[in-house]
Amino acid sequence: MAKKSKQAYKQAPWRRQIQSVGISLLPVIALVVVVSIYLIISAQSASAGLEIMDMHYEEEEILRIIANQRTELAWKTSYTEMVKRAEKNGFETAPSESVHFMAIPGYTGQSPVLLAPPPGSENTLGPIVNEYYQQSLWDWVYNTFLTSAQTSEAAQ
Amino acid sequence: MKKGTFSRLTLIGIVLTSSSALIILQMLHIQNSTKHQELSQWADEEYSYAIENYTPERGNIYDRWGRLLAGNEDVYEAGVMLEYVTNPETIAQTMEGVNGLTYDQIYDVVKQKYDEEDSIYAVITDFLPSGVIDVLSDVKQTYETENPYGKDKEKPSLRGLIWSSHLKRTYPENSLASNILGFYSFRDRREGLGYYGVEEYYNDLLAGNPMETFMPRNPYMLESLPEVPAGASLVLTIDREIQAMVEKKLDEAIKEDEAVSGTVIVLDPRNGEILAMATQPRINLNQYWKYEDEFKDRVPYNRAISETYEPGSVFKVLTMSAAYDAGVVDDETTFPDTGRYEEHGAVILNWDRKGHGEQTMQGCMQKSLNVCLAWVADKKLGEEKFYEYMQAFGIGRRTSVDLGGEETWPLSVPGDTDWYPVQLLTNSFGQGVAVTPIQLATAISAVANDGKMMKPHVLKAIIQDGKQYNTTPQVLGVPIKAETARTVTAMLVKSLENESSLALVPGYSIAGKTGTAEIPVEGEYSIDLTNASFAGWGPADDPQFLVYVWLEKPKKSPWGSVVAAPLFSDIAKELVVYLDIPPEDAQQNLVAKEG
Repeated sequence: MAKKSKQAYKQAPWRRQIQSVGISLLPVIALVVVVSIYLIISAQSASAGLEIMDMHYEEEEILRIIANQRTELAWKTSYTEMVKRAEKNGFETAPSESVHFMAIPGYTGQSPVLLAPPPGSENTLGPIVNEYYQQSLWDWVYNTFLTSAQTSEAAQ
Repeated sequence: MKKGTFSRLTLIGIVLTSSSALIILQMLHIQNSTKHQELSQWADEEYSYAIENYTPERGNIYDRWGRLLAGNEDVYEAGVMLEYVTNPETIAQTMEGVNGLTYDQIYDVVKQKYDEEDSIYAVITDFLPSGVIDVLSDVKQTYETENPYGKDKEKPSLRGLIWSSHLKRTYPENSLASNILGFYSFRDRREGLGYYGVEEYYNDLLAGNPMETFMPRNPYMLESLPEVPAGASLVLTIDREIQAMVEKKLDEAIKEDEAVSGTVIVLDPRNGEILAMATQPRINLNQYWKYEDEFKDRVPYNRAISETYEPGSVFKVLTMSAAYDAGVVDDETTFPDTGRYEEHGAVILNWDRKGHGEQTMQGCMQKSLNVCLAWVADKKLGEEKFYEYMQAFGIGRRTSVDLGGEETWPLSVPGDTDWYPVQLLTNSFGQGVAVTPIQLATAISAVANDGKMMKPHVLKAIIQDGKQYNTTPQVLGVPIKAETARTVTAMLVKSLENESSLALVPGYSIAGKTGTAEIPVEGEYSIDLTNASFAGWGPADDPQFLVYVWLEKPKKSPWGSVVAAPLFSDIAKELVVYLDIPPEDAQQNLVAKEG
């Protein structure tokens, strides 16, 4: 086999030249591959960075919209607006003389306002993602097959 | 042939290698040149970052039930990018009348010459509502379709006109509770500040931490984006419905009694929570810049905390409480009222200039006898104890209520250069001593709350970083014993009932005291000009509210019992409904059922 190869190279010396060109091109190709990977990752990072920037502005805008709509709602439910609406619907303020106190069993009055959770309460900002989307393949295999196998053994 | 191919290949190889080597050499040369560092730094400074000002959203203010009293709304600033303006006349014509601007005013701004160094962008107007922007946007789009890029200068074009949104402080209730809220000078977008009331007192909390930061332009560096949390939101102890009711009743009373002004404070004596605080004048907070039109001649923004005055007979509650607490008088103590008390070179007379004969302490309070109270302070308590008690009640000191602009008038005590013995006599019935309504309401709340004086406050909770932190009521002091407080309360309940006072609330036991203080004019007291007041609380056996009423210079009648007491009653009748307080008979039924 080795004799056949030597014979081939003697009969066609350009093969040797191609071999040396190939060998010298190998690091260049490797370099190109590395650079390509680097460029792809850089492009993805830049794209993600720009997306973050966009989302940052979008977040600012959304917060502004929320604030605006909260205030708009407050305008619509302001004291004077509510009085106007009540009068328009035919309601009248009851004079204090005609108000009668009536005890309603179980009614404890209006609850204090809670606009945000109290300090110490946890998981208020936790991810609302189904656990199936968070477990690894191993977790799934373990939970689905191994745990159920152990459970059936224990039952027997 | 083969040799030739080899030579050409070699030649190409040499040329390519040399070119590559030259490029690399040039790169190395540039990289290591003396200018490199300088250029690199310049590029970093100019293009790597943009300076951005982050102003966090100002925190909201809610009433005790979560109803928004101060929030923020989206508005727009409109301006022109001077470089792109092609038809300034169209911009001036289209925007004429917006925010009251004239054609010439707009044209002067728009026709400015573009200068890369100085003049790039010019503001036309600010605080435009979204409706106006929608119209402008439609018009701009139409013109752009008809005249793309504004190339035809004869045709209309709004090119160069741009707008950007930002938040503006807004008060959905307009003037409601304006004296409590204060205002934020939102028209000054760079140096805006909270003035008066809650906006001033809690300005730092509401404002958050505005910051100037370097915003990276390099997308790889975006992990350093700044997090700017919004300002804290506040939940107040104020009840919007009670506040509106009190403001309405006060306005009606001022008009009917022809008073110069008036003030009402409603607080919960058990914890010092202020449920309502109304006074006049008030302003529409969305037009705060008109403030000076309403508050002329040093009129305080909130009389309830900033105006000191001589309270008159309401003050007797404190004198009598001190005397009972010190044990120098009791229910058996009597005073022979001749209608005249002469001591320290001064003569004290009763309000009706008459003598009322032998009186118990109950009678002294019921008939509001100046002579009797002067005797109690002078002969029973003595100056040392009297002033010790007054200081314990907080007279002469700020209450530290959490509102901007609280004032006080110092209490002159023995040893001070401006104190004279006669002041002990006059101070005992509330003349020659000055207080703010909040000071007196706080002092009297000790009598309503078993001797414990709670710090008056308007802050119920802070919402910061997504959590609600509730505040804890604070005790300012315990000037009198619980037993004394109950005795004086019972005495005042009886006084009102015996008098058939106009302050009474059918179905409820109310304790209270009227006050009519003469106002000094050019050094002399005048009965025609008075401060009419009433301090009352209820239900007497379990006080849940204290209402302090002050009407300034009422013309209809100078007497507190005629003008202030009915206003108290009107307010208290509504309060018992708002606060779900059962009448006495219903309360007894409830207790019997529970028993």
